[in-house]
Amino acid sequence: MQSLGIDVLFKGTNAIRLLKGLWVSVEISIISVAISIVLGLVIGVLMTSKNRIMRFVLRAYLEVVRIMPQMVLLFIVYFGTTRVFGINISAELSAIIVFVFWGTAEMGDLVRGSIKSIPRIQYDSAYALGLNKFQVHFFIIFPQTIRRLIPLSINLVTRMIKTTSLVMMIGIVEVLKVAQQIIEANRKASPNAAFGVFVVVFLLYFLVCWPISRFAVKLEKRWT
Amino acid sequence: MKKNLLTKLGTILVSTTIIGASLAGCGSAKADNAETAISEEDTATADAAKEQEAGDAEEAQESAEEAGDGEEAQDTDAVYRTLDEIKESGTINIGVFSDKSPFGYVDENGEYAGYDVYFAEKIGEDLGVDINYVSTEAANRIEYLQTGKVDIILANFTVTEERAQEVDFALPYMNVALGVVSPSDNVVESLDSVGADDQIIVISGTTAETYLEKNYPDIKLQKYDAYAEAKTAFENGNGVAWANDNTEVIAFSLENEGFTVGIPSLGDADTIAPAVTKGNESLLTWLNDEIETIGEDNFFHQDYEATLLDTYGADYENTLVVEGGKVQ
Amino acid sequence: MDLNVLRSYIPLYNEALLLTLKTGLLGILTAFAIGLSGAAAIYFNVPVVKKVLGIYIELFRNTPLLVQLFFIYFALPKLGLRISAETCGILGLGLIGGAYMIETMRSGLFSIDRVQSESALSLGMTDRQVFFHIILPQAFSVSMPGIMANVIFLLKETSVFSTISLMDLMFTAKDLIGMYAKTIECLFLLVIYYLIMLLPVSILGSIIERRVRYAEFGD
Repeated sequence: MQSLGIDVLFKGTNAIRLLKGLWVSVEISIISVAISIVLGLVIGVLMTSKNRIMRFVLRAYLEVVRIMPQMVLLFIVYFGTTRVFGINISAELSAIIVFVFWGTAEMGDLVRGSIKSIPRIQYDSAYALGLNKFQVHFFIIFPQTIRRLIPLSINLVTRMIKTTSLVMMIGIVEVLKVAQQIIEANRKASPNAAFGVFVVVFLLYFLVCWPISRFAVKLEKRWT
Repeated sequence: MKKNLLTKLGTILVSTTIIGASLAGCGSAKADNAETAISEEDTATADAAKEQEAGDAEEAQESAEEAGDGEEAQDTDAVYRTLDEIKESGTINIGVFSDKSPFGYVDENGEYAGYDVYFAEKIGEDLGVDINYVSTEAANRIEYLQTGKVDIILANFTVTEERAQEVDFALPYMNVALGVVSPSDNVVESLDSVGADDQIIVISGTTAETYLEKNYPDIKLQKYDAYAEAKTAFENGNGVAWANDNTEVIAFSLENEGFTVGIPSLGDADTIAPAVTKGNESLLTWLNDEIETIGEDNFFHQDYEATLLDTYGADYENTLVVEGGKVQ
Repeated sequence: MDLNVLRSYIPLYNEALLLTLKTGLLGILTAFAIGLSGAAAIYFNVPVVKKVLGIYIELFRNTPLLVQLFFIYFALPKLGLRISAETCGILGLGLIGGAYMIETMRSGLFSIDRVQSESALSLGMTDRQVFFHIILPQAFSVSMPGIMANVIFLLKETSVFSTISLMDLMFTAKDLIGMYAKTIECLFLLVIYYLIMLLPVSILGSIIERRVRYAEFGD
C-alpha cells in the first residue's frame, strides 16, 4: 500500500475531500441536465417547425455546439463575458451555462429525432378520430417521444459528468483538483501518491458513470 | 445534398460573424483603455515602486475621465470592489495557489496553508472580514484580477514590468529570482549546456516561462498549467530540469531527495507582492499601509518561521523575507 | 481587438493546429484500428478476447479522457512506465476512441442480415471472403455516420491535451493569455482555428451520411 501511495487517502480528511470534489462534479451535471431537458424539449419541438429561418438558426446553434470543444466554451463564458459585457460570473455558474448551452442543443436534437421517428400514420389516425392539434401532440406524440428520449437523456447525464472533469481549468475545485492538492501536500511523505490518487479518481468516475449507463442500456432494451 | 451544404456554409458564416461581432464589440469598448496603457508603456521602468506611481497616476487620470462621463459609466466600468464594498460584504476574495507547497497549498484537513496564506489570514483579520480563497493557476492570475473574480492575488506573484501594466502591485513581501533544479545524477549548471533535444519544464504564466522564451528561445520548454502537474512530471523524469522561482526550486530540492539546484539564481533579482485590479486605489493604499504596519512587528519573519522554516531552515530567512515593503 | 496582436499570434496558432492535427489523426487511426479489430473479434465471438474487450469498453467509455491521460501520464511512471507527452496523447485518444469505435462498428456488423452471409457461404465462399467482401463493406457504410461523429468527438477531445504539456490549440491560447493577457484576441483566434479544423470534417460527415442513406434506401 505504502509504495503505491494509496495510504495518503486515509490521512486527515483526504478521502472525504475527494468525495466532496466528486459531488461538486455530479451536482453541476445534475443541475445542467435538468435545465437542458426542459429547454431541450422546447428547442426540439422548434427544430421540427416549418419556419425555415427558425430551422436554420437552430441548425447553426447545433453546429456550433457540435464543433466547439466544451473547454473553449468554458473559457469564453468564464473569461470572455466579463471582458465583453462587464458581468462577473462565478466559475460554477459559467460551467452550468456552458453545460446547459451544450445539453440543450444535444437534447433538442434528440427530441427532434424522436418526434420525427413517430410514423406519420399516428398523426393521421389521431386527427381522424377528431382530436385537435394540441391533443394530438400532448396525448399521442409526447408520451411516445418521452419514452424514446429517456434512455438517450440518461446517456447525456454520464457525458456531462465526464465533461465536468474540465471545470478544473476554470478554477472550480472538483475531484481532479482535490487530487492534485492531495498529491502536492503529501509529496514528501508519499512520493508515489500520484499513482494511488489517480487510480482512485479513475475508479470514482467509473463507479459513478457505469451504473448510470447500464441503467440507460436496460431501459433502452426494455422500451424498444 | 446541395441544400445541406448550403446550410452548413451558412452556419459557418453566421457563427463566425456572431462570435466575431461580439468579440469585436468588446474590442472597441476596450480600445480607450488600451491607448492609455500604451502611453504608459514609455514611462514604465523596472523599478516596482515607480511602476506603482505610474499606475496610480494613470488611474487618477482615468477616474477623472470617468467622472466626466457621469456616475453610471463608472459603475459599469469598475470590475473591482473598493475597500468599503469589501468591508460591507463581509468577505474578501483572495486568489492563492492550492498546489504550491510551502507557499500556498491545501493541507490534509482541507485547510489552505503556506507563506502566502499566512499573510492572507492576517489581511482578513485586520480588515475584519471572512476570507474566500479562490484556487488559481499561474496563468490565470492576471485574468482573475482583470475580471474581478478576486480582490487580491496573493499567489507568489512576481512583480514585473509587463504585469504592472495589467494589474497594480502593492509593496513587496518576498525576494525572488529564477532558479533551475535538476536530478542530482545529471545536474544542469548552465542553460547554455542544455542539449537540443532536452526539454526544460516550466509552468505556464510564470516569470520563468517568459524569461526563457525571451533569452533562450532555442531551449525546448515543456509547459504545464498547475504546479502539481509540473512537479509530478519532473519527478517522473519527463524533463531534464525544472525552471521556476528559485524559492520554489530550492524548496523542492530540500524536500525531495535526489534533486539539486544547479542554477540557484538566474535573471534579475525580483520581488513578490500582492496585486489588486488596476485602479483599485482604496484597497491598494490599505494593503501598502498594512504591509508597513505589520512590518514594524516583524510579521513576515513570523510568517517565515511558521510556514517556511521547516523547508528552508533559518539560513534563508533574511534573503527571502522582505519586511515592511522595504527591499534591503 | 488589436490586429497586430492577432497577426503576431497566428504563427503560434498554426504550429498548434499542426500538432493538434498530427496527434489527433494518429490517435484516430489508432482508435480506428482498435475499433475494427475489436468489432471483428466480437463478431466472431472469440472467447476470452470478447470478455476483455467488454471490460475495456466499459472502463474507457465511463471515464473522462482527462482522467485517463492523467493516469497514463502521471501515475504509470510511478510503476516505471514512462512515455512522452505526445505518445501519451495519441495513446489516450486511441484508447478512448477505440472503445467508441468498437461499439459503432459492432452495431454496423450486426446490422447486416444473416441471410447474406448464409447465401454467400452457400455460394462456396470461405468465411474470410464472406467477412471481407460481403459483410465488412456494407457494415462499414452503415457505421460511417457514427464513425464520423466519433472523429469529430475525438478531434474536439484533443483540447484536454493541454494538461499533459502538449502545445495544442487550447494550450497555446491559455499560455498566451497567461503571458500577455490579450484574452479577447486569444479566444477569438481559438474559435476561428477550431472552426477551420472541424467544419470541413463536419461537412464531410453530412455528405457521407447522405450517401450512406442513399445506398441504403435509394433516393
